[in-house]
Parts: sequence; structure tokens; C-alpha cells
Amino acid sequence: MNQYARMIIVLMIISIASGAVLALSYEVTNPTIQEQARQKLEQSVLTVIPGATKMEEVQKEDMMIYIGLDDQGNKKGISFKAIGSGFDGPIEIMVGYNPKEGKLLGIEILSMSETPGLGARIKEEAFTKQFKEKSAEDEFTAKEDVQVISGATISSTAVANAIRTSLDKIVKIYPVGGDF
Amino acid sequence: MQLFKDFINGIWNENPIFKMVIGICSALAVTTAANNGIAMGLALTFVLTCSSILISLLRNVIPAKVRIPCYIIVVATFTTVVDLFMKAYFPSLYEVLGIFIPLIVVNCTVLARAESFASKVGLARATADALGMGLGFTWAITLISMIRELLGAGTLFGYRVMWDGFTPWVSAILPPGAFIVMGILVGLINMINRKTAKDTHSH
Amino acid sequence: MAKELFFIIVGSIFVNNFVLSRFLGQCPFLGVSSKTETAVGMGMATTFVLTMTAVAAYFLQNYILAPFGLEPFLQIVSFILVIASLVQLVEMVILKISPTLYNAFGIFLPLVTTNCIVMGVALLIPMNNYNLIKSIALGLGAGIGFTLALALMSGIREDLEFADVPEALRGPAIVFITAGLLSMIFMGFTGLVPLG
Repeated sequence: MNQYARMIIVLMIISIASGAVLALSYEVTNPTIQEQARQKLEQSVLTVIPGATKMEEVQKEDMMIYIGLDDQGNKKGISFKAIGSGFDGPIEIMVGYNPKEGKLLGIEILSMSETPGLGARIKEEAFTKQFKEKSAEDEFTAKEDVQVISGATISSTAVANAIRTSLDKIVKIYPVGGDF
Repeated sequence: MQLFKDFINGIWNENPIFKMVIGICSALAVTTAANNGIAMGLALTFVLTCSSILISLLRNVIPAKVRIPCYIIVVATFTTVVDLFMKAYFPSLYEVLGIFIPLIVVNCTVLARAESFASKVGLARATADALGMGLGFTWAITLISMIRELLGAGTLFGYRVMWDGFTPWVSAILPPGAFIVMGILVGLINMINRKTAKDTHSH
Repeated sequence: MAKELFFIIVGSIFVNNFVLSRFLGQCPFLGVSSKTETAVGMGMATTFVLTMTAVAAYFLQNYILAPFGLEPFLQIVSFILVIASLVQLVEMVILKISPTLYNAFGIFLPLVTTNCIVMGVALLIPMNNYNLIKSIALGLGAGIGFTLALALMSGIREDLEFADVPEALRGPAIVFITAGLLSMIFMGFTGLVPLG
């Protein structure tokens, strides 16, 4: 057999086999990956909206809004994702909010790659709990109405800024005091 | 006997991290907690073993001129398989290890073993060598991560082991700590080696 | 936009140096850093490939992988193949157009394929959702940061040859410890990039 033909055939067979293996693994794992992602999302929505046991997704403009409902189907609040640019890549934050009272219900850091021991401490409750009950009309200025973690000013500021920016959009969709 | 020798080779004599000092990016980057070290090590062992087995089996089929692209495709395929399965079944670990799982594909250890060993020997020896190298990588990376977790957080595998009032030496889990712990360990292994070499020499 | 680009570049050179803080590209960092001349050659070759890879990864991700839904399972394979071919291509072109240039940094090119900094940058682009210009900035910044780390380390190692290093620490061990100190110095750049 021609040397070149053999080279091409071997490469092709290996590529096709590789493609088949990958497509198969993807088929096997994909449902689980989707399910994991959904569970994680629901978990965080229920964490940031106290009293909620179920969630509903709605899309408003370019934002995905997750509405938290209790067992009776009463709306307990809404939540949305805010993305800040941290010290080392994006910080994803789930924010719980009650438009009727214009107050935050709580926040949770979904993902970040900040420095362990410093910026990564934005995940700790000591930092996140200060956003509970915070008014949507606040400025969210670091070191003024938002306390920063010492040694992690950048990460703390990124969180505060990200929440403020997303809140600006949310307030336009759900005016303070209105229904949701 | 030959098989045992091939296996031990990776565990100690040619340990990829401490002796050959190759493929150490992940050994430095993800070793902030002992769990991550083990997970990274096992992921690499899987990719290394599967690739070595397949490359050894195909060693008479693959033409020499296109062997490198073939190896790359094989390694990349197994890396993706690990990537997908970890994402599905160990999502929290997957998040911590981040891009270092896909980066197994360019881990020098994997390609080096494929090129210099698996492509030249039979299935049994290739498997023994890959398992040895993989587990050699795993114990080394686990040791580094245990030291860093112990010093940097005062815990081991997430359990508190240091006395109360121990102030964690955060530097150990920051980047400089990785380099320094690694340097000291490589130095220690050198010392042990030198000592055993001297002992066998004097007998 | 200009500000963001500046932050990406300065960030990847100093604040989160790809070698000293993200731990990418360790193999050449240890292997090719004993002489400044070769270190700079390696750095240049890598920077060149990195910038081109950034462009290639951007187009591959946004025009082929994402639209066809192939991203989850073909990303790794396609990125590594593109990088390997790109390196090969660059090597051939340089050899043809300028043998001097080839001698300066072309000889390092085959080593660039398995440098994880290249694959790392390729993977970071879709992860951070960078646009084309930001991708180029990341590739360039990563390359310059890599060159800087390599040049610094080689300068230190040239002097280290005359130092009385304890026997057991000779070789890679002392290089790691030196890298640790360098990394500590680079941590001093924290906060250089403020967030707007």
C-alpha cells in the first residue's frame, strides 16, 4: 500500500474513532451535567430567597429572572445573576431581591477564582450577610456603605459594583414598591 | 519482574514530579487542598493509562511520520472523556480543578511516556509503566497538597488537625507557597537519593 | 474598552503573571531558563504563537464550535490540533523567509506545542467570553509575562552558578525556591489594576 495513503487512512480512522468515543461520552454525561447545573441554580435561588421552596424562570429583556415561590405558590422574591470582574476572572453572584420592599434578601457567590485566604473570603457569610436587607437605593460604595474584607478590596468592590449594576437594570423592570 | 520494575520506575526512580520534574503545572496550581491533589492525580493516571494502552496496541499500525498527531488525538480524546465525566459526577471538584483538567492534554508526562515508552513495548509493560507513572504523579501531588493544606489552612482532607489557636500560614496556599514547598520537597528527595546511593556504594 | 484592554495586558504580565501566579508554562520555565539569550528566544517564540493562537481560538470557538454545539466535547481536541498545526506552520514559514530569525527563535518552536500556557490561553478565551481584541490582548499579555518571568529567572540563574548552593538543593530545587521568591515579589503588584 502507498505510504501516504496509509498515513491518511490511519489518521482518519483514529479521528473517526475519537469522534465516536467523544460523542458517546457526551450523550452519556450530558443529562447529568444539565441536571447538576439546574440543581445548583435552584439551590442557590432558594438560598438567597428565604422561605422559597420552588422556583420559576422568566426572561425579561436580556436578564433571566428566577422567581422564588413558597409551598402555597406565594411569590417570596426574585433573584438574578450579577457578574463582576474580580481580581482573577469573573465573579458570579446570585442576588435575592424583594421589589415590593426594594430590599435585597441575600446574596450567594456562585463562582469565582479569587486568591484563597484573601479574595476568596467574599464567599464567607461574614461578608455576604451585610447585603441582607440592603436597600436598592443605596450606593453600594466600597468602604462607605459596603464593608470590604481587609486585603481583598478589589474582590469586595467587584461584588458591590456587580450587584449595583444589575440592580439598576432590575429596578427598571420591577419598579420599587410594585408587584412582581 | 520486568513488569514490577516498570511499575516502580514511575513511583520512585523516575518519578515525574520529584525526579524528572516534568508536567508540574497542575502539581503547583491545584495543590491547595489534599482532595484536589488526589483527584488531579487520579484523573491524570486514567488518561495516561488509557492512552498508553491504546498507543501500545496501535504501535505497529501507526506510521512513524504521523505518530505525533495520532498520539495527540488519543490523549485529547481521553482527556475530554475525563473532563465530561468529572463535570457530570464530581461538579464541585471539577470547579476547583478548572482548566487544569483539560490541560492534561499538554501535560508533558503523558506525551513523553507515549513517545518514549508505550510506542515501543507490549501491552503489559506499557500498562505497568503508565500505572507507575500515574500513581507516582498522584502520590507526589497529594503530598504537596497535604503539606500546603496543613500549613495554609490547618486542615487535612478538610478535617481540622492543627491545635486551637494555630494561625494558618496563608502564604502556603498562595502561589509562592507552591514553589517553595515544591523546592524543599525536591531538595529532600535529592538528599534521600544521595544517601541511599552512598549506602549502596559503601557496601 | 481601552482601559479594559490595558487591565488585561497589565494583569496578565504583572498581577497574575501566567508563570508565577497561574502556574502555566512551568516546563520551559524550568528547562530553558539557564541562559538569558535562550530564555528570551523561547519567550519571543511563545509570545508569537500565543498571539496567533488567541486569534485562532477565538474564531474556532465562536464560528465553529459554539454555533454547532460541539464545544462540550470537541473543544480540547480541536484546540490542541489547531495549536500543533499552527506551530508547525509558523516554523515552516520562518524557516523559509528568514534563516536568521529561525536561528533566533525558530528552534524553540517545536517545544511550544506542549507548553500549557498556549492551551491555557486558548481555554481561557471562551471561559471569559472575550471578544477578538480582548483575546489578542490576553495572548500578548500572557506571552510578555512569560518572557519576563523567563528572562528574570535566567538572569538570576546565571548568577546562581557562582553561588554556594547546598548540595541537595542544586538543580530544580533551588530554581523552585527562587521562583517562590519571585512569585512573592509579583504579589506586590496586587492592586495595580483597579476595577473601574
